[in-house]
Parts: sequence; structure tokens; C-alpha cells
Amino acid sequence: MKTMQPRPLSTLSLIVLHEARILVRDRTLLLVCCVLALMVGYGLFVGLAQATLRDRMVAQVLKHQQETQTANSGMLQSVLAGQTALIPFSNPANPAAMAGTLSGRYATMPNAPLAALAIGQSDMMPNYYRITYLSKVQFMYDTEIENPWNLLSGHFDLAFVIVFVLPLLVTTLGYNLLSAEREHGTLRMLCSQPLSIATLMTGKVIVRMLALLAIAIPVPLVVLLLIRPEARGAEQLVLMLSWSALVAAYTLSWFAVAALVNTVGLSSSTNALIMVALWTILVLILPVTMNLAVGLVSPAPSRTELANRTRVATAESLREYEDLYSADYRYASDPEALLVKNERIEVPSRMRAFFLAKQKVDERIEPLLKHFDQQLLQQQKLVDRLSLLSPAMLVNEALTSIAGTDSRRFLAFKDQTEAFHKEWRQYFSPRILESRAMTMRDLSSLPRWHWIEMPGSEIRWSIWWRAILMLALASVLGGLALARSSRRSIE
Amino acid sequence: MFAIIAAKDLRVLTRDGRLLWAGGLVVILMLVALAAGWNRQVQLNSERSAGQALDYDAWLHQGYRHPHDAAEQGMHVFKPEPSLAVFDPGIGPFVGSTVWLQAHRQSEVKFRPAQDATGLQRFGELSPAWLLQVLLPLLIIVIGFNSVSDERERGTLRQLLSLGAPARSLLYGKAAALASCVGILIAPVGLAFAVLIVARLPAGERVDVVYRIAWLAAGYGLYLGFFVFLTLAVSALARSSRTSLVLLLGFWVAATLIAPRTASEATNLLHPTPSRLDFDNQLAHDVADAGRKAWSTHFGARTPWDPSVPLSKWGAALKVDDEAGYGALDENFGRLWDTFERQQRAQEWVGLVAPVVALRGFSMGLAGTDFSQHRDFSTAAEAQRRKIQNIVSEDLIEHADRLGNAHFTYKAGPELWATVPQFKYELPSVSFALAHHWASLALLAVMFCLSVALAQFALSRPLMR
Repeated sequence: MKTMQPRPLSTLSLIVLHEARILVRDRTLLLVCCVLALMVGYGLFVGLAQATLRDRMVAQVLKHQQETQTANSGMLQSVLAGQTALIPFSNPANPAAMAGTLSGRYATMPNAPLAALAIGQSDMMPNYYRITYLSKVQFMYDTEIENPWNLLSGHFDLAFVIVFVLPLLVTTLGYNLLSAEREHGTLRMLCSQPLSIATLMTGKVIVRMLALLAIAIPVPLVVLLLIRPEARGAEQLVLMLSWSALVAAYTLSWFAVAALVNTVGLSSSTNALIMVALWTILVLILPVTMNLAVGLVSPAPSRTELANRTRVATAESLREYEDLYSADYRYASDPEALLVKNERIEVPSRMRAFFLAKQKVDERIEPLLKHFDQQLLQQQKLVDRLSLLSPAMLVNEALTSIAGTDSRRFLAFKDQTEAFHKEWRQYFSPRILESRAMTMRDLSSLPRWHWIEMPGSEIRWSIWWRAILMLALASVLGGLALARSSRRSIE
Repeated sequence: MFAIIAAKDLRVLTRDGRLLWAGGLVVILMLVALAAGWNRQVQLNSERSAGQALDYDAWLHQGYRHPHDAAEQGMHVFKPEPSLAVFDPGIGPFVGSTVWLQAHRQSEVKFRPAQDATGLQRFGELSPAWLLQVLLPLLIIVIGFNSVSDERERGTLRQLLSLGAPARSLLYGKAAALASCVGILIAPVGLAFAVLIVARLPAGERVDVVYRIAWLAAGYGLYLGFFVFLTLAVSALARSSRTSLVLLLGFWVAATLIAPRTASEATNLLHPTPSRLDFDNQLAHDVADAGRKAWSTHFGARTPWDPSVPLSKWGAALKVDDEAGYGALDENFGRLWDTFERQQRAQEWVGLVAPVVALRGFSMGLAGTDFSQHRDFSTAAEAQRRKIQNIVSEDLIEHADRLGNAHFTYKAGPELWATVPQFKYELPSVSFALAHHWASLALLAVMFCLSVALAQFALSRPLMR
């Protein structure tokens, strides 16, 4: 020790070294790092399991789609060749059957490459819809199956570890930055050295923060890069960078809070109490209160009202197409009537009625459904603004949008699905109305689903402004702490 | 001696800023939560009962129509909100409340409020139950962590012991002081709320709700009592106030925040929930299987709706087809719901280290917002659907099957619609909830006794170390 001469920068490095040695020797740092490593590992495992499950579902759905398509074209071939006995509801030459029961079309949304970083809404919102001519009310409100108790508890994913647990570990390491020195009687001794309190505190924070970040940031990213090849693109690397910046800024701002609290000159216990109180308010109370506020300011329309309107619309369309619904039905006794003649086929009037009635129902309740989506977007905008009140909300929003499991992406999926559903109906509408039989060519030209990813620039912007805001917050708090520590006596 | 200690401690606590600030915040949040929940419930209940009545009225007056088309329009039924949902919404935000009873489809309860909310919903729902489960233990810790250790550090413990104060009086006096602080905060609000709720109810439902409130009070009493004695025990055992605080906060974080999530992840591994796709595929497969068997035994047909079955048998065929599916539906949904219940039962064991898990289940159960009561409603709704379906099929066999190819020209009238009874669902009674959740209550009682024993042990050791 005595070989070192006190130069400005080397004082800091001396403190860093000294702190590191103490923290390693008294095992606190080791314990905290082990806890963090375990939690990060477990959170990542949970996220990866969920992402894999979702990947598998999309793959299965696509496989099912492929199989149905093959089966349909085989069946159609034999129907056109007159080799198969016809079953009214499963005749692929019949456009109404093709649009409904036989349709093997799905709208799917793939996982974003970094999905394992946060589960977000993905345990609740569906990542595929089966597309038929059914009304939106009948298929758009299916949700993923999950035990409601577990939805209520929430998942132990990486976002939880970062948003909830990381600040607590920061508190554990930082609540007594200066107060412990004072209580041990060593602060007086330190102050007698050519050393400012600001430098002392900076050194202490650097060691602790580097130790936490050395686990929280590289572990998940390296694991992702190793086992998920789709995470290796340039765009993903930029996202990972923003993720790292966000986590670092969030950690730094909690350390800055700890430093600021320490400069007040209270006892360690009081400091711990203040830190926990701040954590409770910012991470627990504000988000649930804001959730309540968002619901009050911009409430979702009534679902009961939707049920009522659906009933009225269904009744009206049943009445409108009553003649079609109650027409004679001779196809069971006379299957010949279902044969394709000159590329024409008799679409059973009941089936035509189903198609038209569902379309009518959707047209009638469309405005109300739109209102639901608009209101959700409105709520999301409100959340964006309110999240400025709590770093936990801010970071949580950003983490889920990096993982692509935020409400916005699911809403975009729902939007695109609705458009595709419309396209699907429009494709079949003239065929059903004009009794045009499906041909082999038609079968290969059915509308295809393409998921259009949300624009990268939009996501990047929404993440970076949050990261920058967090950094700004951290530097303001840190600056305050440093200024206070240099101006005031803290003995 | 007991009373003197309690009175002195209570005075110290009320003069301390911690209780004033933290307690004030809790009371304000409690009032906000109650007001919001109340407002929501009044609105929902009036909307739903109006919706239900309108829906049945529309069913009765739907005019002349083919019965199968009537079943297509179907009926909507709404889950009534139990009155204590204001106190604990339970799984409410994550399960739906509306069922559209239609032909051919197992009615699923739809429209989860969480679907109409942003990701913020996942931070939790501000409810009185949440406050009592999560924030009040923290409050107890914050005001009580130094109740013994501080006396030791200041040297007043030595004086107290020199006066001959027995350890038992010291323990119960301090416990009484802590408990009364909590009591002062929640009792007035709780009492006012209970009176308001009970007064609003029709006389027939009052007794049930009063029982529920009493059981809830017992459950929360045990839970908060556990934290009171644990805090005192740790405060007496720890070397310093600082250690006591760090230990207690660590326990609180682990037990109320981390344990519930870990428990639900762990039980998910133990009893995996199927994905929707797997579930749907299995269900479709089983229904189709059952259908094929039924069609071949009843009509000798290879496939359902085989052309060999004439239209004059479609009413009968519909009945056969539907009834064949019932078994598969019951089995598949039963299996899924059993999985959910098994997951929850497995989690209750976590209550041995984290009492909040046991309390949460108990609280939801008694408030009427847990899964078993949701399941009860879903089953009742499905029974109603089957009732409609059976009435429709019988009527088709009797009238439409005679018409041959003109099957679908048949139209039934108001007499038939009136034979379908209105859907009347009564929430299960308190004994239903207790039968499902007595184990959680027992667990809470055990935890409470353990904490008392620990505190007694801690204070019976030589206190001056």
C-alpha cells in the first residue's frame, strides 16, 4: 500500500481496489452476486421455456396448415374426378366449406428474436388465430391457456428480476455506503486523508455496480447469442446494446439514490428504511395505482354491451337471411346435387346463409370492436406518459418492447389478423354468391398470411428515449449526491 | 405490567413519524382501492343483471324460427360479482365473466378484463386484499423491527428487567402495542366497509356474507399476527437493530414477492399446463372419435353427417352427435381444470415458508373470487347450454324430422322458447369455500403458533447479551 502515491485518479483506483478487497473478504458481495446469478439464470430459463413453447406452437400450426392444404388438394382432385362420395360439409369444391370448416389457414405471429428477455403479455395473448369466415367475436377473443392463479402471481422472468429484484440488491449493497463507515468510526479517519467524500462514494459505487452488472448484463446476452441463432443479426445486436444501456442506467439510478440517501447523514437502519420505502412506492405502489388511474381515465368499453350488441346483430342477420336458412335441404338424399358442373357448384343455401350472416354480424359490431382497440391504444399512450413517474414502469415498458411481448405488438397482430380475415372473406364472397366451384388453381391462390413486423425505427426510438431518460435521471441524482457530499459536513 | 408495557409502546409508536407516514399512506390507498372497487362493482352488477334480463327477453320474443337457428343465436349468461370481490378481486381480472351459449361449442367464459388492459396490469391490482397481504406486513416490520433491540441498545431493557417485568408480559405487551397500531389503521375502515356491504344486500344473502367476513377476519388476523410475533422474535434475537431490520426485510421480500412467483413456476413444471393448441387438438380429436363411434352405432354411418343418414333423421342425429361430444368435453375440460386446481394445491405447501401464498388462496376463496368458484359457474353455464340443446333436439325429432327435405322449413314458436328456463345462478355458499380452503387456514394457524413459540423462545433467553 505504501508504494502508491496519492494522485487524483489513482486515489479513486485505490478506493476501488480497497473496497473490492473488503467486499470480497466479508462475503457480502459474493452472496449478493450469487443470489443475482441464480435469479438471472432462473429468469432466463423461464423466459426461454416460454419462448420455445411459443415457437413450437407456431411451428405446429404451420405444419397443420400444410397438412390441411395437402389433404384439401388431394380431396379436391378426387372430387373433380368424380371418385369420392360427397359429404355436404366437407366438400372442398364448395367455396363455403373451404372458407369455413375446411380452411386450414392460420394467422401467426413469430417470436421476436429477443423474446426470452421478458414474458410480458405473451402468456395471455394468443400468437395464432385460426382463420375462417366465423365472426370476429367467435374467434378473436380466444386467449392462451394459463392458470389464472399463475397469471395473477406473474412470471419469474428476467424482466421481473431486473425491475423488482435488482433495486433491492442495490439497496442491500448500498444502503450503508457512508453510514457504515461512520458507525465503525472509520469515516473520521478517511476524512483526515487527502480524499474527498465524493471520490470515496464514487469508488464504492463503482465496485458494487460493476459486480452486479457483470452478472446481470453479459450472462443473458451470451446465453441468448449461443442458443438462439436468430438473436445474432445486426439489428438484434443494437437492441441488445439498448437493453444493456437500460439495465445499466436503471442500476446506476438506484445506486445514485442510495448515495443521495447516504449523504443526509442518518443511521444505517434509517437509510435502509428510506430505501425500502422508496422502492415500495416506486416499484409496488405507483404502478398499481397508475393501473387503476389508467382504467378510470380511459376505461375499456363495456363487454356486457358487446355481448348485447352481438346478440342483436345475430338476431337481425338471422332474420335477414331467413329464406336462405329455411330453404329445402336435399343434399343428404341427393348428393349428386353437389357435383361440380362447368366449374359451377350449388352452394347449399344454409351454408351461404352462415357465411353472409357472420359477415353481417361483423359489419354491425365493427365500430364497437374498433372502440375497444382504440381505447387500449389510448391507455397505452397514457401509460407511456405516466411511466415517467416511476423508473420501474419506464424500464418495464422498454424491456417488454425489446422482447416484442408488449401490448402494442399484440395489438398490431390483432389488427393485421382482422385485415387478413377480411381479405379471406372477400376472396370467398364472390365465389359463394356466384356458386363458383373451387379449382385446383384457386386452392393454390388462397390468400396467404404475412406477418409484417412493427417498424424497427419505432421500437428503437421508444427504447432509446427511455434509456436516455434513465441515464439522465441517474446523472441528476448522482450529481446531486456528489454535490451534497462535497458541500456539506456529513459527520 | 402487561398493560403498562403495551400503553408505553403504543405511545412511543404513535409519536414516531414512521407510523404516521406509512400508516397514513396505507389508509389512503385502502380508501382509494375500496372506492374504485365499489364503483366498478355497482356498475358491473347493474349492467350484467340488465344484460341478462334483456337477453332472456330477446330469447323469448325471437319469433318463429328453426330451433337450430335459435341455438345459433343462443343465450348470453353473465357471472355475477360476489359482493366481497370489492375486497379481493382474486383471479377476476384474468378470467372472463361472459359466456355465449351456442350450439356445438363448449361455452367458454370470455372477455378477461386483463385483455382490455395494458401491461401495467401485470404489476398487480390495487385492492384492499393486496394492501393487507403485501404492504401491512411491511408496515409491521418497519414500525416493530427495533421494539426489543432498541430497548437493549438504549439500555432501557436493563432497567425494565430490573423492575421484575416477566418476559411473557414484555412479549405480549409489545405484541399488543404493534397489533393495536395495525388495528387503528384498518379496523375503522374495515368495519365501515363490512357494515356498508352487509346493509346493501338482500336479507337472504346477509348471513352468508357475514360468515365470510368473519372467516376473512380470522385468516388475516392469523397472518398479520404471524408477522407481529415474527418481528418481535427477530428483534429480540438479532444482535442489533440493523441486523433485525435487514433480516426482516429480506424475509418480507422473499416471502411476499419472490415466493409466489417461484411457486407458480415450480408447480407449472410439476403439473404442466397444456398449450391452447395441444388442448384444442386433443379436444377435437376426442370429440371426433366419440362422434364417429356414436354415428356408427346409431346409424351405421362411417362419418358424422354421412350422406347415408337421411334428413328425416337429422334431429335425432343432432342429439346423438351432441351427446357423444359431452363426454369428451367433460373429460378434457375436467382434466384442464383439475390441473389448475392441482397446481394451486401444490402451491399451498409453499405457505409453510411464505404464508402469503396460503392467505391469498384462502382470501380469494372466502371472497368468492377463486378458481373453484369460477369453475362452478362455468359448469353451471355449460349445463344450461346442454339444457337448451336437448330441448332443441327433442323438438326437432318431434317436428322437423317428419318433414324430410323440408327439415329446415320447420319453425318453432314462443311456446318452445318458453320451455327453456331462465339461467339462474346462485353463488356457492361459505361452506363450499371452506371445504376448499380449510387447509390454508390450518396452515396459517400453524404458522401463527410457530411464530408465537419462536417469539416466546427469543424473549425467554437471557436478553442481556
